[in-house]
Amino acid sequence: MIMARAMTRHRQPEPLAVLPEYPGGPLSGLATTRGKHPHAPVITDIPASPAPPRPAERVAAVEDLHVTFRRNGRDVQALRGVSLEIAQGEILGLVGESGSGKSVLGLTLLGLHPARTTTIDGKLEVCNQSLVAATPEDWRRLRKTHMGAVFQDPMTSLNPTTRLGRQVSEVAGSSAEAIRLLNAVGIPDAERRLSSYPHELSGGLRQRVMLAMAIAGPPRLIIADEPTTALDVTVQAQILQLLRRLRDDLGMAMLFITHDLGVASQVADRIAVLYGGRLMEIGPAGEILEGPAHPYTDGLLRSRLTLTTGRDRPIASLAGEPPDPTQPPSGCPFSLRCAFVWDRCRDEMPAPTVKPQDTTGSHMVACWRTDDLASSGQELAGKWPAAPSAPGLAVLANNVTKAFTVRKGFRTQKLHALRGVSLEIAPGEVVALVGESGSGKSTLLRAMAGLLTIDSGSIEFGMPGHAQMVFQDAGASLTPWLSVSTLLKERLTRADLSSNERADRVRASLATVGLPAEVASAKPRELSGGQRQRVALARAIAMPPPMLLCDEPTSALDVSLAASILNLIGRLRRELSMAVLFVTHDLAVARMVADRVAVMYLGRIVEIGPVDDVVGNPRHPYTRALLASVPDPGAKLTTARGEPASPLDPPDGCAFEPRCERSGDDCCLCDPTLDLVRPSHTGPARLARKVACLHPIAGVPRIPGGLPTDRHEGDD
Amino acid sequence: MNPLTFIARRLGAAVVILVILVAAMFTLSHLSHTDPAHAYLGAGASKSAVAAERAKLGLNLPITTQFFHYVGNFLHGNLGVSYRTRNPVTQDLAEYLPATMELAFYALLLALLLGLMLGVASAGHWRGARILKFVMVSGASAPLFLLALLGILIFYGHLGWLPASGRTSMPNPPTGPTGFLTLDALLAGRFNMLINALEHLLMPATVLAIGPAVSIGRVLRGSLVTVLREDYIRTARSKGLRERAVLLRHALRNSVGPALSMTGLQAGLLLAGDVVVEQVFAWPGIGYYAAQSIPVGDFPAISGVTLVLGLGYVLINALVDILQRLADPRVRI
Ligand SMILES: Nc1ncnc2c1ncn2[C@@H]1O[C@H](COP(=O)(O)OP(=O)(O)OP(=O)(O)O)[C@@H](O)[C@H]1O
Ligand code: SF4
Ligand code: SF4
Ligand SMILES: [Mg+2]
Repeated sequence: MIMARAMTRHRQPEPLAVLPEYPGGPLSGLATTRGKHPHAPVITDIPASPAPPRPAERVAAVEDLHVTFRRNGRDVQALRGVSLEIAQGEILGLVGESGSGKSVLGLTLLGLHPARTTTIDGKLEVCNQSLVAATPEDWRRLRKTHMGAVFQDPMTSLNPTTRLGRQVSEVAGSSAEAIRLLNAVGIPDAERRLSSYPHELSGGLRQRVMLAMAIAGPPRLIIADEPTTALDVTVQAQILQLLRRLRDDLGMAMLFITHDLGVASQVADRIAVLYGGRLMEIGPAGEILEGPAHPYTDGLLRSRLTLTTGRDRPIASLAGEPPDPTQPPSGCPFSLRCAFVWDRCRDEMPAPTVKPQDTTGSHMVACWRTDDLASSGQELAGKWPAAPSAPGLAVLANNVTKAFTVRKGFRTQKLHALRGVSLEIAPGEVVALVGESGSGKSTLLRAMAGLLTIDSGSIEFGMPGHAQMVFQDAGASLTPWLSVSTLLKERLTRADLSSNERADRVRASLATVGLPAEVASAKPRELSGGQRQRVALARAIAMPPPMLLCDEPTSALDVSLAASILNLIGRLRRELSMAVLFVTHDLAVARMVADRVAVMYLGRIVEIGPVDDVVGNPRHPYTRALLASVPDPGAKLTTARGEPASPLDPPDGCAFEPRCERSGDDCCLCDPTLDLVRPSHTGPARLARKVACLHPIAGVPRIPGGLPTDRHEGDD
Repeated sequence: MNPLTFIARRLGAAVVILVILVAAMFTLSHLSHTDPAHAYLGAGASKSAVAAERAKLGLNLPITTQFFHYVGNFLHGNLGVSYRTRNPVTQDLAEYLPATMELAFYALLLALLLGLMLGVASAGHWRGARILKFVMVSGASAPLFLLALLGILIFYGHLGWLPASGRTSMPNPPTGPTGFLTLDALLAGRFNMLINALEHLLMPATVLAIGPAVSIGRVLRGSLVTVLREDYIRTARSKGLRERAVLLRHALRNSVGPALSMTGLQAGLLLAGDVVVEQVFAWPGIGYYAAQSIPVGDFPAISGVTLVLGLGYVLINALVDILQRLADPRVRI
């Protein structure tokens, strides 16, 4: 139970500036034809539902909103005529790829757009105040009394030099109220936390603090801009649940911005899809997820990986990239990437209209060909060829340990990043390494790349040549002032090649990763995020390495780009028969790329085995918790308690014990070792399913004569 | 960094700077053509007297031995005897130093305050920021002595608002316990005296402060503008705080680091300017003392003054480093 609904308002009740109020009634029927925006939609009947939301229920509304920034002498048209409403108590999920204008809409509603360079046009209303002509002071009062905000990066969103107590009380009004709010968002030991600084808290706790500040008041509208993107899946699931609970208890409305439809599906009542600064589709969350009416929504859903996506063929990714906001297409913004494009699409911009089959009028789509889409089936890509296998091992890591020395005040402490990890990978095999942040995934990868020395144990490579690495942030790993061809040629210097042969190699590797030859003369900063990641891959394979080490190469990319990079890795490993070690925090990604998966927790592998086996039938409670946190549409999130223990001071016994739902009395005494799940394992030893748990989850029992759920013999 | 390492490094750096200063003073006194024995005995001394004095002062010993004596004397707090006043230099310094310390203290305080005002006002686009900036920048671009003379001309000569020389114009100034006239007056309960001392301080302190204040203000403005783009500033604004509260409560503390470093650097300039300003305002401090010692080649006095100024510089910078650490809890000692 959290706060009572009638929580006293501690924000000083400031008189609101008297603003010209909207002339009563909803924004419906205000047909606008603006000379300035030739493609602005003629808005008719919003919403055309039988029971339009009463004005009292509407917390925020924008109509034909245009937001333009001036940047480097050019106009960036971030929003080009967006109309939507947010009702009291509803969570509206705002979804779209990077650069589609989601954050701009959120910041504009908050009045936090950069004042000097922005032009705002159209109608904008929050809590019955029209805000188009509002002064900064009007907006400030509105934020103070009626709005709250949570932003993406909890690491940078709190003031690093001010105690949390002060930061929360500043908006709560008193320390007592601050403690109440911190309790309400589930911060343990709230009173003691008041004197902490942000850097002393984990990311999840910091985001809870942000939430505590956002709900002070309580506000009528919260803008949450990707509040869980920077968090681990387990923590993300916790925060999503918390958001819903807060909304249920306090009844505020929320604009929930995310690039992931799966995340939106977990919290949103309605979903709005934005693309190229235009609204593509809006409607009840269930309808949009089950029957997307717009080709873009459909494409987003198809590129999205779930725990059930077919693994035997490439992902149906959405090709291409969003339009340049300085020169938006005059027709449908999606026409450049749409498989259904018609001539009309390129010339005329479709406005959101009620989906034909929809009787409630709540589901709207901006597409000329909605009807045709409904009847068309998507053809599937061809299946992957079988991955080549070769004898021997690509790498053999044996009982690797690594501790970093960290300084804390006067003392130095050991941070145990790897606490005895053994792993074998065969040539041509892909192994995914999953786990929460801090579990040691990247450390193991860097140790294999030879980027750091290990304390004990051994790492041996079975084949000549160096392992190559691909990082999460491709932009940072490519020298900005060198051209792509120079960057690729660097990798060829050791080979005995003439300069012609080198140029050929550069062209060939660019072609292999699906980049046009012109890219060779470009500098990294002139490329998009997805292109940069491809260049990083081209560089890694310019001299085909025996092994590729990937550190979250897709986690900074939009779903469609991520899907295309995963497809690329899937193809490269087969063509070049490389061994791949792929670090990811996302089990759905791991399942797509890998043959086997190793789950890490606090510097150890706690479960390992063939990926279908592990995902379909987790034995370790931690693996199950990770799986339950994956936000798939339709899946009900259950979350792991708490956050990982500190690697500075690993608990005695099983490291997962403090969070484990199955723990018994012996768990805090006895440290489980990684043992075979089935003692009678046959076949190559490295493929065996292993788990480190004293009370593992029982396997799915075989149905006599039924479907073999388990390929291996002998179940426990 | 470990706090012990931090303190050890600070001390190490301070010792190195002081040793260099001592070596420089020693070299300078030997390069000059002034014969200490001669200078000490006066122009009319006989040859034999000078020779005897040279032997007594150890001037016939090898130069390295002399250097070790020189350093040894320093370490014992023996700075020699002034040729001019015939007093031990330490005694002279004790007499003149408090006046300089008081002036430097107020000048530095004023520089910080003015710099803070200038930085905050121009980063926050406050009203009057431009005028403030214009006045301060024009002040800072004039040579120190000109500024001082102009100040005297206007505020003393023309308007008659402020006194032009000395620390006080009242009889029987208090002589202890701190040597800071303002503080001693306050302790003695003599408020007229306090006001009078402050009036005397105002002009020289302002003249000294204005250059450093502009530098501090510029650096502060730069870091404030950067900090104002941070995510946590957006958070503060999303809470509906007034812009002033955002600036002072959230941005300022995260921006003072570079401004504090600048204050440390500017302390050196301020101490150098002190010699000129004390001369113009007839301020009885060590700058004044040095100005009288230089023309007669009074090397023990000059070395003493140099050493004290160097020590002051090192101390101020050590203080700045510690303050910077305190401002950021992430590197708290
Ligand atoms: N302050 C600004 N000045 C100039 N252009 C801006 C500014 N803020 C955003 N833009 C531009 O507006 C467009 C929409 O940006 P926005 O940040 O809303 O995208 P988004 O959908 O939130 O993307 P992401 O998923 O990457 O957060 C982009 O082209 C962006 O570069
Ligand atoms: S309007 Fe045309 S281009 Fe746009 S989404 Fe519909 S079919 Fe595709
Ligand atoms: S050993 Fe015990 S505490 Fe650890 S995961 Fe297994 S059941 Fe849980
Ligand atoms: Mg955004």
